[in-house]
Amino acid sequence: MTPPLDPALWPSLRLALHIFFFMAVFFLLKQLFELRDQAQLRHLAKPKGAFRVPMLILTLLFGGLLIYQASWQLTGMLRPQFIAFMQLHDRREFNPAHWIQRGRILDRNGEVLAYSEEIQGKVYRLYPDGPVFSPVVGYSQPRFGATGMEAVATVHLNGGAPADLSGWGELGRQIVGGVQRPRGQDLRLTLDAELQRMAVARIGQRRGAVVLMNPNNGDILVLASVPSYDPNRISSELFLNPDPSAPLLNRATQGLYPPGSTFKIAVAAMALERGFNDTIDCPADGYTTSSRYPKIRDHEYYNAKKRGSIWRGHGRIDMTHALARSSNVFFAKLGVLEGHQAFRNFGKRTLMDRQITLHQTPYGSYRMRTGQMPRLSPKDRYGLAQLAIGQGALLVTPAYMALLTAAVADQGVAARPRLIDKDPPQALARFMSKDTADRLAVMMRTVVTEGTARGIDDPNLSIAGKTGTAQNPQGDSHSWFVGFAPTQRPTLAIAVLVEGAGYGSAVAAPIAHDLLLAARAKQGFH
Amino acid sequence: MQSNPPSRSTMPAFMDAWLARWPERQILIWSALTIGLGFLMVIGSGYADGHPPDARALLPLGVYVLSLTVMHLTLVLARFQGDQILVGTLAFLAGFGLLAQYRMGGIRFDDLARPDLYLLPGGILLMLTLCLALMRGRYERLADWMWIWAGVSLALVAVLLVFGHRYRGAVYGAGLITPTELLKVTVVLFLAAFIERHGKRLGNWGQTAIPRPPLRALLPLALFWILLTGLLLLQRDLGLFVVLSMTLMLMLFVGTGRAGYLILGALLASAAGYLVLEVFSHGQRRVAAWLSPFEDPTGNSWQILQGLSGMYSGGLWGEGFGEGHPEYTPIAQSDFIYAVIGEELGFVGCALLVVFFLIFFSRTLGVADQTRSGFGRLICVGLTSVLAIQSFLNLGGVTKFIPLTGITLPFISHGGSSLITGFISLGLILAISEGSPTRRRHTQSTPKTNRRSSQRTSNNPKGKPSKKSTKKGSGANSSAIVAPAKGCGKKKTTRPG
Repeated sequence: MTPPLDPALWPSLRLALHIFFFMAVFFLLKQLFELRDQAQLRHLAKPKGAFRVPMLILTLLFGGLLIYQASWQLTGMLRPQFIAFMQLHDRREFNPAHWIQRGRILDRNGEVLAYSEEIQGKVYRLYPDGPVFSPVVGYSQPRFGATGMEAVATVHLNGGAPADLSGWGELGRQIVGGVQRPRGQDLRLTLDAELQRMAVARIGQRRGAVVLMNPNNGDILVLASVPSYDPNRISSELFLNPDPSAPLLNRATQGLYPPGSTFKIAVAAMALERGFNDTIDCPADGYTTSSRYPKIRDHEYYNAKKRGSIWRGHGRIDMTHALARSSNVFFAKLGVLEGHQAFRNFGKRTLMDRQITLHQTPYGSYRMRTGQMPRLSPKDRYGLAQLAIGQGALLVTPAYMALLTAAVADQGVAARPRLIDKDPPQALARFMSKDTADRLAVMMRTVVTEGTARGIDDPNLSIAGKTGTAQNPQGDSHSWFVGFAPTQRPTLAIAVLVEGAGYGSAVAAPIAHDLLLAARAKQGFH
Repeated sequence: MQSNPPSRSTMPAFMDAWLARWPERQILIWSALTIGLGFLMVIGSGYADGHPPDARALLPLGVYVLSLTVMHLTLVLARFQGDQILVGTLAFLAGFGLLAQYRMGGIRFDDLARPDLYLLPGGILLMLTLCLALMRGRYERLADWMWIWAGVSLALVAVLLVFGHRYRGAVYGAGLITPTELLKVTVVLFLAAFIERHGKRLGNWGQTAIPRPPLRALLPLALFWILLTGLLLLQRDLGLFVVLSMTLMLMLFVGTGRAGYLILGALLASAAGYLVLEVFSHGQRRVAAWLSPFEDPTGNSWQILQGLSGMYSGGLWGEGFGEGHPEYTPIAQSDFIYAVIGEELGFVGCALLVVFFLIFFSRTLGVADQTRSGFGRLICVGLTSVLAIQSFLNLGGVTKFIPLTGITLPFISHGGSSLITGFISLGLILAISEGSPTRRRHTQSTPKTNRRSSQRTSNNPKGKPSKKSTKKGSGANSSAIVAPAKGCGKKKTTRPG
């Protein structure tokens, strides 16, 4: 029966048969419809129409079933778990899930951070910069699933949930046309690829994190965590063998560190809010709440001791001077003066002990932790003194320090950090009054002009900031710098942390300086 | 096509009947053509895959066309008047099922000893035999065997329970035949007879403020049902139990007009559902797979997710019959045949199939609507319920609309017992759609019959000329028109109801 036929002709013949088959069925339906009058059962009693209601119910039931079926069969790309299942477990080569041209992930200038490419009949997800952007972008891999923005925005990237009418139109064309290589939608981030690369390069072989954001609208320009993993090479090794350098940990948003002296800006803000406008005597000998505890001293004391000379102490100084000198004694005394309740209230106001959601979809959310403030017993005054200099049980994330700094830069209001270009800017919370923020900004400028961060004072950019050298029970001190620029109308706020690198002024501050300068230069062009 | 039946009178009776059934012929021819195209697709894709062409590959199509021809000719020769649309729709659905099974490799032409090839013609023959044997109201006699149907139903389950063997958690007879499929007919027959006989008492829910069901009248039915339920649950045939219970509820409602039966049924169903979930582990697993399929994607929900994956691959239009890979879905040829259709013919193919099922149900319900015999109507309603519930449970399970019940899709799924039962059901409905000229038992229905006959005779002069009256006059023939009043009277004397 079947004529000898060139198998190469089959695809077109198949298409024709396919179309003819559907046309024949439609024609059959039409005939059934037309012939129904002539095939009435006239020899039986007249129809009473009693079957209309059950028929309506049946139609609704089966109609609902078909609609539900369509939500899998036609718009299955809206179900990321389903797509992931098919990519992993479905052996049908023609399944479009294997061929989805997942949308690209771009930086704010359109540079590609992640894209999909077909290599020898398989679609791969590629990340040109390897580990540089993985703390934000994450990975998408059939076997191990997805994390980061790849997971949070997976529906968008797979082409589902179009944002506008033309997006829906495109989706409809793909469904009707039976497109075998559906295209997802691109996702544009607020990150600046160049700056992020620079930040990662500057941390180098050390471990650390950098968060650089625009305090006015919350745009995150850099969110770096080093070391990170290479999303191009995800294997079970990564998850099974715990690497001491913890590449899977996003240090910027989840890593908890003692803030050290950088926390003094929070204590200063708290005291200013409560009307502190005084001087405190800071003896060279240091300060303690009880003879049972070691004394809290200033770093000049230790420097002098090391040199074999004697330091005479700051004497009575005000807050500006204390911040510029990063006087531990001043802030320890100030903290004890302010008391437990003040810390608790200020912690609550500045969103301590919280998770802040940067972007959320039904398939996950990208969040940052703020920090952990210890619950001190009301009698524990030494704990309070330690808390006030950013030591003891207090832990924060670098992202939180950037947020706090941004609040100072933006007249006391913290903008919600944004990673997705399309998310509208939003205020998160007011951390302090405008007056406090303004006064604190001036003090932080003094830190750079004549204080601990003198080394990064630059005639080209007016930077304000605070260094930190956080003692770390596990090893060397962490090097911190938080700051913003320009001091007048700031457009950049930064937090730099380098683990175990020693003085903040020596390591973190120069990195921050270079990043701020580069970022400022780029902003000038826009 | 053979359209425009010419004027009558001189034509022999055969020609009259031949012309009267031209809509059916039209539909059958187009069904055959459509199914033929489908066969070409399957054979062609096999050829493209490197299977050498074989003329015998067209054997199933030949069998199908021959069956349709024989069916049509038989109906014409018997001057059958029953529902033509129903016959046409059934022909298409059965052909579609044959095509699907052929595509799945269930029907092999190289081994003529295999039974699969003969299922369709056998089923159609059985349907015709039943239809002809029971038409012209002879089906009313089935009501006399009420307790026989009940006995047969229980015996079928009991025998299977004793002699059957377990396979995939259920009990099968020899050669994986499931004789319990026949229950879908015998139980409906029993219920129809019982409800028709005791309709009045069953509908009497008392005059009190709070209506309560007539327990005394329900007692025999309840006993039978408890026995049946017990046996079915011992077999773990949950799906059949659900189908039959819902059918019972609907038939009681239609037979008595008491909505209370629906409410009662819903209450009992929730209680039963709860109990079943407590007792049967596989019920729990299925509900879990339904609610959270991605919890255990490679275990519990593997089959359903594979089915859905296939459907997603099919998209709107599908890959074409024979082009997909349904073998990746476990047991695709029976319970999951709908997923195969979704994969190869796409969403459009699925929607078309559903439309055909809906037309089918609208016709069987239409027959019920037009049948004056209470027994006949109840049979139609019961069988339609069974088939509709079965289809919905199957399609809903495959598409994850509802939990999976492991029920076959009538006429499409692989499974001889299911197919044969479908044809038997349809034989009954067709016989009923032929009309019943005589009334044997129910005295109260005599006036109805009279009214119908008068209606019928008055129909002729009522303006609609030639064609229709011709069909009626010749097709139903003298007995149909003259008999009612006479027949009723005669039967009444010989056999008092």
